[in-house]
Amino acid sequence: MTAKNDPVKDAKDAGAWMAAGLRLVMRSKLYWGLGLLLVFGALSSPVTSKGVNIFLSLGNLTDVLRQVSVTGIVAVGMTLVILIAGIDLSVGSILALGTVICAMLLTQEGWTAASYIGVPATGAMAFVCAMGILGIVRQLLRPHTSANGSQGSKAVSALVVLVCAAASVGLMVWLASQVPTKFGVIAVLIMVPCVCAVFGVLNGVLIVHGRLQPFIVTLAMMVGALGLARLIAGQDTAVYPVYTGTNATASFELLRNLVWGVIPMPGIFFLSVLVVFYALTRFTTYGAYLLAIGGNEQASRLAGINVNRIKIVTYAIASALAGLAGILYVAQFRQGKPDAGMGLELDAIAAVVIGGTSLMGGKGTVVGTMVGVLIFGFLSNILQLNNIDSNSQLVLKGVIIVAAVLLQEGQLSTIFSKLRRS
Amino acid sequence: MVTVLSSAITSNASEPDFVFDLHGIGRSYSGIPVLADVTLAIRGGEIHTLMGENGAGKSTLVKIVSGVIKPSFGTMAINGLPVSFQTPRDAEEHGIIIMHQELSLIPEMTVAQNVVLGREPLKGGLFIDRRKSRALAMDVLLRFGFSLDVDTKVRELRVGEQQLVEIARALLMDARLLIMDEPTSALSQTEADILMEVVRDLAAQGVAILYISHRMDEVFEISDQISVLRDGHLIGSAMASETSSADVVEMMVGRRIEVQKIRRKTQPMAGLALEVSGLTAEAQGRSVLKNVSFGLRRGEVLGVGGLLGAGRTELLETIFGARGPVQSGQVQIDGKPVAVQNPADGVAHGLALITEDRKSTGLILKHTISDNIILPQLPRIDRFGVGMGPYQTAQALQAIARLRIAARGTDHVVGNLSGGNQQKVVLGKWLGLAPRILLLDEPTRGIDVGAKDEIYDLIGQLADSGISILLASSEIPELLSICDRVMVLCEGRVTGFLEPDEMTLDAIKQLAMQFE
Repeated sequence: MTAKNDPVKDAKDAGAWMAAGLRLVMRSKLYWGLGLLLVFGALSSPVTSKGVNIFLSLGNLTDVLRQVSVTGIVAVGMTLVILIAGIDLSVGSILALGTVICAMLLTQEGWTAASYIGVPATGAMAFVCAMGILGIVRQLLRPHTSANGSQGSKAVSALVVLVCAAASVGLMVWLASQVPTKFGVIAVLIMVPCVCAVFGVLNGVLIVHGRLQPFIVTLAMMVGALGLARLIAGQDTAVYPVYTGTNATASFELLRNLVWGVIPMPGIFFLSVLVVFYALTRFTTYGAYLLAIGGNEQASRLAGINVNRIKIVTYAIASALAGLAGILYVAQFRQGKPDAGMGLELDAIAAVVIGGTSLMGGKGTVVGTMVGVLIFGFLSNILQLNNIDSNSQLVLKGVIIVAAVLLQEGQLSTIFSKLRRS
Repeated sequence: MVTVLSSAITSNASEPDFVFDLHGIGRSYSGIPVLADVTLAIRGGEIHTLMGENGAGKSTLVKIVSGVIKPSFGTMAINGLPVSFQTPRDAEEHGIIIMHQELSLIPEMTVAQNVVLGREPLKGGLFIDRRKSRALAMDVLLRFGFSLDVDTKVRELRVGEQQLVEIARALLMDARLLIMDEPTSALSQTEADILMEVVRDLAAQGVAILYISHRMDEVFEISDQISVLRDGHLIGSAMASETSSADVVEMMVGRRIEVQKIRRKTQPMAGLALEVSGLTAEAQGRSVLKNVSFGLRRGEVLGVGGLLGAGRTELLETIFGARGPVQSGQVQIDGKPVAVQNPADGVAHGLALITEDRKSTGLILKHTISDNIILPQLPRIDRFGVGMGPYQTAQALQAIARLRIAARGTDHVVGNLSGGNQQKVVLGKWLGLAPRILLLDEPTRGIDVGAKDEIYDLIGQLADSGISILLASSEIPELLSICDRVMVLCEGRVTGFLEPDEMTLDAIKQLAMQFE
């Protein structure tokens, strides 16, 4: 390096090397943060009389997974919304609505408010989803080379609509047949996300076609859905208890059990959601659309992308995931209640932001969000193990959010360099 | 504060011997020099133009002179007294005022409020004296014969008028050195002409002007002195009367470029690719297109001229579907009537729109070249994009090679490219779709001479290959040099078509000003 007689080029080379090294460290700093937290947790953890580190014990680690699952699933949906430079404040209330509907479907016989809403909403969403899935299948079957795609004949399209309609009517009949008794686990797993997705579609339609700010629309939905949850639950009903085996089907217990005696079922759901949406955002055009729309909506629209449809679908997915999280909430806490999920939307947003997703849109990953969720989960776990009270926990959480975002935005390095210069 | 204002009103012609000296100015970022050993003198009453390609160090020099950054080497002096600026405010107090390329006015405020912004005369030490603000603003506007109503909101003004408000603001600050960074890039020829008058007037009053522009004709029309930067070095400085545009271009790019009419290998073919008849459109209750009819032949480059607000952009956007369904009139592509409802329809019919503002509507600045290139193709990609990575990279590489985009690689973030290379990415992303009709809106705005030339060549090649091109531009020389025919708009109406033998600067100007 020094043998050469070109100081400018040397400086450039050294600068480039250092910059590359720094970039690598900065790019992976999220994982460093989580790693440091884990090390700190192991070191500070109390140890049992038998010498077992409580923090590192399998039971504790799987407990953390169980605890973060509900927020985590909501945060994945939030990631998608924030990627398109939107925001969804309504997911907490929609989750609450989901818990109420889920608990009522499980414990009440006959036609209740929950089943009146649930059966038709599920039918409608099932029709839309079936159309979507068949569309995907048709595209997959098409040869890779056809650039503009020979439009399938009208007969095929009509057949598709007919098949989808038949499927959704069939589904509705099957669901209606369960009304006189109580609903089973599979029916609930289908119905609650479908009902919640309807509210997400409403969010999306208002934002896209009403040309309203996502903040305003979802704020209104947050208030409205909470009210609706209370209305459906009935006046003065604070909680719907769900006792599996007595007032609800025993198989619902599955959703809180450990799988193979190790991993809690909510964790399995969270991990599956992560895998599915990681693949969706990373490998498909849907992911490319999300980034493009968040990066520059106007440019995406002018490039011929159907921005409106992508936005509506994304808000629907966020709400459907809130519904799924609602079911897991009921399984975990054995109750559905209208004020479940208070403030959950903010936890989800915080996890997304810590995970490096930009609130300006167009930049971010689902994996980052997973790390954000885990950082929060392990942090509260460590603090609890060390008997630190919940108020201090909140203060620390606030500090972590600011510190993480400063790191993410790279502002920290500019602050340091300014300090050094002065 | 008040003393500053009163001296502004008593005119600044009292100091005709203002000299701003730069001696050996250099600047490096983390050891890498971007500007080296620049020695220049800018004198009061002189219009001094700074030229150079993007990245030549113009903006670094401007930042140093206006106090935004400090030079790493060298000294500055005003009238022989050394100065050093800690902040832009310091520079302002020495009478160095910069007019940015992007306007920095507040749209919701009136002209008067904008003119006095930051220097509001106060009443009782606390409240803004509105009457005095208006009087000050009116005074400074009248001094240059600007006929603007000081109570109009800036939002309601045309871009050209907004520039005048910026200038008035600089004048009120008692400017002794006014830096103008591409003031005419958003103006039509006529508006630019008015601005030129004002700049000359200012110089006559003893103000020093540091002028930055890419428009060669304009530079020679206005400058007293021309200085050229290349790769951070001052290549040369000469009186405008003693140099030529070919010399300047050679200094800028380091080789000689012929500025001449683009030669085409083929003539436009017979059939019409696009036929528009009776197109009429409104926006916010205002009529923007009135009964526009024309035909675009295959392989033809049809220019669209006109003043700012004549409807050039609106015409292109309406055809492409960016303004929703056509309100009235008919569009035919290859002889078949089409109903284009939105941009997706436009793309499906083989149209491509390169917008006038690549930063806000053309590119995703924080994404990579390859992500930007693939964007319009996404809706046509099969299997939901699974496994499209290699295809995407191939497309990006192809665009980089074909358009000679200067970039580190396919994952170079577009926002870090120079203006010319950004524009090439915009072109590249649409060429990947193999469009049959290109709608180009200001395809060379704000890019340097070298890139401009390459884009002109590309337009010629595309037309030769049978692609039809509708090219809207506010730069008349651009229309003259690359178009087969020119259509001129005025207030949304077609005021005339010019065949090659009728195409002159004056003919276009005249048609552009046929107001009703």
